[in-house]
Amino acid sequence: MKNGDGNGTVPWWRHWRLWLGVWLAGTTGLAAILLWDAWPWLSGAPQASFRGTKLNDWPLSALWWVLVPGIMWLQKNLTLVDRRWPWAVLLHGLMAVLITGLFIILAGGRMLLANHLPASYLPAMVHDLRWMGGWNYTPALVYLLLIFALYAFSFYREWRAGQRLTGELRVANAELETRLVRASLDALKMQLHPHFLFNTLNSITSLIRNNRTREAEDVVAGLGELLRRSLDHKQEARVSLEHELGFLHRYLDIESIRFQDRLRVEFDISPKCLAAQVPGLILQPLVENAMKHGISKDPAARVLRISAARDGTRLILTVYNDGPPLPKDDAALSRGIGVQSTVTRLQMLYGDEARLWLRDQAPRGVRAEIILPFQTVSP
Amino acid sequence: MTTTPRPHWWISLALLPLSGLMAMVFLGPRQSLPIIPRSPDEANVLRVAYPQRLMPDPHQRTFPVAPHNHFILCLWEPLVECDPVTGEPRPAAAESWSWSPDRLVLTLKLRPDARWSNGDPVTAHDFVRGWRRLLHRGMEVAQTLFPLKNAAAYHMRTLQDPEKVGVQAIDDLTLRLELAQVRSTMVAELADPLLAPLHENSEQSLADNSYVTAPEKLVTNGPFQLREASGTGFRLQASPHYHGRNEVRLDGVRFIRTSNQSVAPLLLAAGVVDVVSPMPWEERKLPTNRPARKETELVLAVSAINFNVTRGPLRDVRVRRALALALDREGPIAEFNPGRMTPAWSWVPDMPGRTGLVLLNEDKAEARRLLAAAGYPGGRGFPVLEMSLPLWGMEDPYPAVWAERWYQELGVRTHLIYEPTSVRAKRMTAAGDYDVVYGNLIATVPDAGDLLSGFLWPPEYSDTKWSDPEFNRLMSEADRKTGAARLPLLEKAERRMMDAVPAVPMMFEQRQALLAAEVRGWYAEPLARQSLKRLRLETSSGANYNPGPRL
Repeated sequence: MKNGDGNGTVPWWRHWRLWLGVWLAGTTGLAAILLWDAWPWLSGAPQASFRGTKLNDWPLSALWWVLVPGIMWLQKNLTLVDRRWPWAVLLHGLMAVLITGLFIILAGGRMLLANHLPASYLPAMVHDLRWMGGWNYTPALVYLLLIFALYAFSFYREWRAGQRLTGELRVANAELETRLVRASLDALKMQLHPHFLFNTLNSITSLIRNNRTREAEDVVAGLGELLRRSLDHKQEARVSLEHELGFLHRYLDIESIRFQDRLRVEFDISPKCLAAQVPGLILQPLVENAMKHGISKDPAARVLRISAARDGTRLILTVYNDGPPLPKDDAALSRGIGVQSTVTRLQMLYGDEARLWLRDQAPRGVRAEIILPFQTVSP
Repeated sequence: MTTTPRPHWWISLALLPLSGLMAMVFLGPRQSLPIIPRSPDEANVLRVAYPQRLMPDPHQRTFPVAPHNHFILCLWEPLVECDPVTGEPRPAAAESWSWSPDRLVLTLKLRPDARWSNGDPVTAHDFVRGWRRLLHRGMEVAQTLFPLKNAAAYHMRTLQDPEKVGVQAIDDLTLRLELAQVRSTMVAELADPLLAPLHENSEQSLADNSYVTAPEKLVTNGPFQLREASGTGFRLQASPHYHGRNEVRLDGVRFIRTSNQSVAPLLLAAGVVDVVSPMPWEERKLPTNRPARKETELVLAVSAINFNVTRGPLRDVRVRRALALALDREGPIAEFNPGRMTPAWSWVPDMPGRTGLVLLNEDKAEARRLLAAAGYPGGRGFPVLEMSLPLWGMEDPYPAVWAERWYQELGVRTHLIYEPTSVRAKRMTAAGDYDVVYGNLIATVPDAGDLLSGFLWPPEYSDTKWSDPEFNRLMSEADRKTGAARLPLLEKAERRMMDAVPAVPMMFEQRQALLAAEVRGWYAEPLARQSLKRLRLETSSGANYNPGPRL
């Protein structure tokens, strides 16, 4: 059996419809018994009197049977247990007073009927009940105890749900961490790709042969810095955009030696965005894709443009290259390791609030765009 | 996780008028409410409130005792009744009586004109029938007849032959009572509503409650007869066959059942009833301007602290007197029962024909001196007193207050022992495993000797275990006299007892009745046995005993 929200199965005996049915049956039965018993009096039989009916004899506490579902409904729907607790206290205080008043008035009403007094005597009778010790405050106590029990039960359920959620979050975090490490290693693997290293080492050799030792030293230093930053990225999920761009600079410095004058890197970064927090190594896979599938595939291609802009609460990062358009095979596109990894990480960190677009841009080139919430580190 | 704020404004709005309606009830008008007019067919009918179950059976008792007595005495007439002024017995169903020379046989002549409600003559055989029925009832009511010879044995089934019980019908109009021992109060005791006769047709009606559907089957000999019985009360009509019919001014009496004793004054204010007795002692404001008055009468009972004079220091009369003088009455009474209780300075309260004496006072210094003279200065060396109390008396504040008083004034400690009745009965043996008992003694006849006779009881029934030959002699001598001639002997006996202090009278109780102004002829009756046949309704006099609605 599914529960009302369809969120899972509950035992049959915990289903609210069952209890509603029991309550309705009980209430109907109770009303039928009282009506049947009081019928001679209601129909004006000569020897019948209200005093002899169960309406007069039965304890008023039977009324709780009728009231309890309403109280449960109120507790669930009317009380605001978090930010508006004064409202809840006020409401329950008022309800306790009203229920106590209701019991007193009903007791007074019964006395009125049992003693054949007109309705105009109800205030006097209610007042007199006080003299007789008939102002019973137990209903207020019962109501508050009931509310207390309902709150305790409600808090217990929330606590249990919280416990479950915390457990799930822990698992999700661990998974995320694992994926991040894997992404870092993937990135490192990309950097240490034999072709990349081979090309870089060839470039260094060429520079040394041409007595451009100063530049060779710069490339070696850049490669070292690149590797160090790659390892650093394993330690943190998010870095500032400025830090991420610094990493890209090192990467592109090395790549620019290989591509010589063919590569023209353009940065269009809004200064306001430098402090924005972005996932570490989020741009490098896209830049590498642009180099690998864009600029290196087409000798005429030479522009790599990286931009960052703020749009209200969103940060928009783009990597553009003027290389050939995207392949028509979507599956191939989506299976690309860099794109897939980036999409997964964005989903993990931001859920539905982050997106990655990859599309051709007229008249020429391909544009990768990441949209994610604009966040900074709190001071 | 937090709940989403969802203020259901419509619920809040619904609560406001609900609160308003409730406030209207609680703050609604409670003064000058309309008085329900008396219906024309009840213009000369007295309406009496009663709070608990009432039975038209004279041979059982219901409580409170006042409405029970009033109801039974409306339907049934015993042999004698007590004079409203002097308390002396006077003829009722019997027109005369005489004692044998040894005062062990009482012969009563019944009225020849006494009739049952169906017209049959009331005979001595009817009394014998009724009294034998009473002896088959519980001890608490059957013991009323125990002064008769063999009555106790017949009740306890050790005697099977009813003819051997000391009540015989000599002829239709002569009833002969043989007593177990001399008892001068016997004639007055015959006024007890329990000692009603029984018509041969009534026993079945009482047994199967058929009087509810056929009220005429309940044949009674009182000034009124049953016309209607239901869960809400009884309707009585003046009996046309009653011998004193011409003196009965009321056409009828209605006994109206109320939810409880406290609501009865409201019903009187509303015009539903005319008599509320007993009236609760709360000071309260009535919601109408119906003229009414309160009548107060002393209850013939005494609340007392009884010393077991066979135990330890309590053997010494100086100790008993010290404990008696140290007690405070007025302070606790003012705190707990103002108006209802009055301090007792003697054993016998005021009663018709006899004013109570002042034989005791409060003197703390003398109390300390006496205790020191007895060898217990400041209570040093005095053992802890054990006061036996019934479990149901835990709400009675007085014993604790008086025990504290003894400690404060004399340094005497008291252990209050609250016990179930069965456990307490074992303690109250002939030897008496207790030092002090607090309790009430209630008289059954308006006679000082009845209250004093408790000190004549044998040790197994006596709370004090006190016995004094001179006291016994005075009481015995008083028993051989009647009327005013008894009073000097009873006074001597009371003084003798109070000098010995086997018990300390602490409080007398008052009872009050609330009456509509038109009710006339009410009189104080210490045993709450007012005969309602003496009352009348006077609506045209305009007299208003009630200066305002506050009572």
